[in-house]
Amino acid sequence: MGLLGPQQPRGEQAIATKMSSRRNRISDEEINELISKLQSLLPESRRRNIGRASASKLLKETCSYIKSLHREVDDLSDRLSDLIATMDSNSPQAEIIRSLLRS
Amino acid sequence: MLLGLQLAGVSSKGMTIQERKSAVKLSADVAMAGARGSTNWTRALIANLSKQERNKAILRCILGKDYEKLTKPCQYHSWKNPRSKQILRRSVIRVCSRKRNVLRAPATSVLAKVLVKKRTQVLKSLLPGGESLYGFYLLDETLDYVISLRVQVDLMQRLLKASETSNLG
Repeated sequence: MGLLGPQQPRGEQAIATKMSSRRNRISDEEINELISKLQSLLPESRRRNIGRASASKLLKETCSYIKSLHREVDDLSDRLSDLIATMDSNSPQAEIIRSLLRS
Repeated sequence: MLLGLQLAGVSSKGMTIQERKSAVKLSADVAMAGARGSTNWTRALIANLSKQERNKAILRCILGKDYEKLTKPCQYHSWKNPRSKQILRRSVIRVCSRKRNVLRAPATSVLAKVLVKKRTQVLKSLLPGGESLYGFYLLDETLDYVISLRVQVDLMQRLLKASETSNLG
């Protein structure tokens, strides 16, 4: 892919080769693939199908996505614990949940 | 996760709202980490949860022998990271600055570097165990963590739905 173009890192990669074994070098293709995968996970990317975003945009989107996922887990924890609390201990529903918890 | 809920004694009436919620969250997190297996972030997550003594017993019980595996110190590939971070940053910034006016490119890339650095710090603070990671490995862990978080959310939503439906029925 012509995305990365000619680059100085080649010099750094040469140093990397000397310092470590070949198979441990991280290739540009691997990096590209990782970035694409990450971008495809982000909600905004899926909606509008933007071309390749900049590094800072990608990081920003990722951070806000993780934060929103954390918030959602928090909210779901609230609701689940409320639900468990309000269940009447003698009702058939409570019995179902209890048997689920036991299994 | 259900085992976690049971062990944390969620159905006990003696619990306060906050305690119950923490128990639910704990179960969810342990389930997520346990299901994923050994990665940098799962270890960090378990380590953080283990800091509280009362959680340790629950963790041991749910994870079984996996608990020992996940808490054993592990050597991570930190030596190749500084370089990969630069390669990564350079490759993505290059894509970005290519689209812009060539004359503005130097200033743009300085700003981009600052933004990238700042946002990388935020990401590290969000990811369990992220502080010690760089570049490629940071993104790799992030990808993994995001996927697991989504599964966790999905699981909790289903559990909620199932409970709600059984309540109505």
